[in-house]
Amino acid sequence: MEFETQTIVRMCAYTGGGIAMGLGAVGAAIGEGYTASEANLAVSRSPKISGDIFKNMLVGQAVAESASIFALVIAILMLFLDIQTAHVLKASALFGAGLCIGFGAIGAGIGSGFPGGQACAGISRQPAAASQLTTNMLIGSAVCQTPAIFSMVVALMLIFIDFSNAPLYPTWAALIGAGLSTGMAAIGSGYGGGLAAGASCEGIARQPNSVGNVTTTMLVGQAVSQTPSIFGLLVSFILLFKTFPQSGALSASMALLGAGLCMGLGGIGPGIGNGMAAEGAVKWVARNMNHAGELMRTMLVGQAVSQSTAIYAMVVSLVLIFVI
Amino acid sequence: MTGKKNKVGNMESIRQTQKKYCSKALIAAIVIGFVFIITDLKPVGKGLILGAIFSSVNFVLMGETLPLKLGKSKNKIFLLSLGSIVLRFALLAVPLIIAVRFEKFNFIAAACGIFMVQIVILLEHLVQTISSIRKSKI
Repeated sequence: MEFETQTIVRMCAYTGGGIAMGLGAVGAAIGEGYTASEANLAVSRSPKISGDIFKNMLVGQAVAESASIFALVIAILMLFLDIQTAHVLKASALFGAGLCIGFGAIGAGIGSGFPGGQACAGISRQPAAASQLTTNMLIGSAVCQTPAIFSMVVALMLIFIDFSNAPLYPTWAALIGAGLSTGMAAIGSGYGGGLAAGASCEGIARQPNSVGNVTTTMLVGQAVSQTPSIFGLLVSFILLFKTFPQSGALSASMALLGAGLCMGLGGIGPGIGNGMAAEGAVKWVARNMNHAGELMRTMLVGQAVSQSTAIYAMVVSLVLIFVI
Repeated sequence: MTGKKNKVGNMESIRQTQKKYCSKALIAAIVIGFVFIITDLKPVGKGLILGAIFSSVNFVLMGETLPLKLGKSKNKIFLLSLGSIVLRFALLAVPLIIAVRFEKFNFIAAACGIFMVQIVILLEHLVQTISSIRKSKI
């Protein structure tokens, strides 16, 4: 059975669109579910202020599902866009775009559920701090979306850049690798950022006076947690914009696909680990504001060590791209 | 009896929140959209307003499904959330499909429009934070 190139492009666009929305919905659903389960606990603890808890839950969930709306936008583009280029490379670019935003939305979706849930629990404990908690939750949730935004940028590049002048072998693998690199690396960063944001809401509920220190530590922690997804973005850009010489050897294609997989998978653990370090620091800053500086330093050292595995993954990816 | 009263009160507070953000999102979209329309960028203005309408509908539906999620186990909440997301996203897909299919609507503007409620929520809190920082400095 032989397929026309246009049919192959369409097939990949539909599969990519399905993957984008399917995976994209999972993260937001888990995050929303977590927020709702914590809201249950909060309402049962303080039924009198259930109205405030509901309001917070609604606003938190609206912001938390942004990542999956990014996935929806990309999915609709892939399903309905009139694709003029009939080139097999377009097919691999579209498939890569679907993988990129699909994976990329998972971490941000789950992660932004944590501040929502902890803010609901916090309001039940400390109703007077409801406004501070909602603001902090929104800041934390919005920062969690950054890795998903990186994924959306790479997905849009894969959809709209014309790769038809590049050699089919090994560029097809580079394009799928580019999608995997940013998409998978974003899982850890989104989830880790959410851990830090959740801890900050819990901390503010415990000690409302600590809001300044807690928010600063949260933002620094979240920023460092994003680093693996920035490495993923860097590897994706190299895979997208480097011109690879034509090579019929399967090893050349697999090296580029492997580079994307290496950075993508290698970024998941450090992203979550960095988030855990930030979560610990934020939690204890709220309990012991006088030692906020030391706690921040300890967090940064911990994050730097946890980061090293992402750096190893990036080095191996660069070796796969430039040496092999 | 108290539970019923609580439920009614909760729904009322949810509806107030929805009213507040949806009206702000729609007003913002209409004002910005109108500016685009009079500057001869009709598809951009129309796309933005179309997206904002569906963003508001999505936010209203989200609020209506919230009480269903309470008092259930974690697994049930996950399934309900997933069902709610799939339904609401099918609705959010409508302005995007219209924008892709018809040149009268700009796709990028429609995509921005479906984030209108989120943008309004974040902007409102940003403004509040900035003004509270200024007040505390004074």
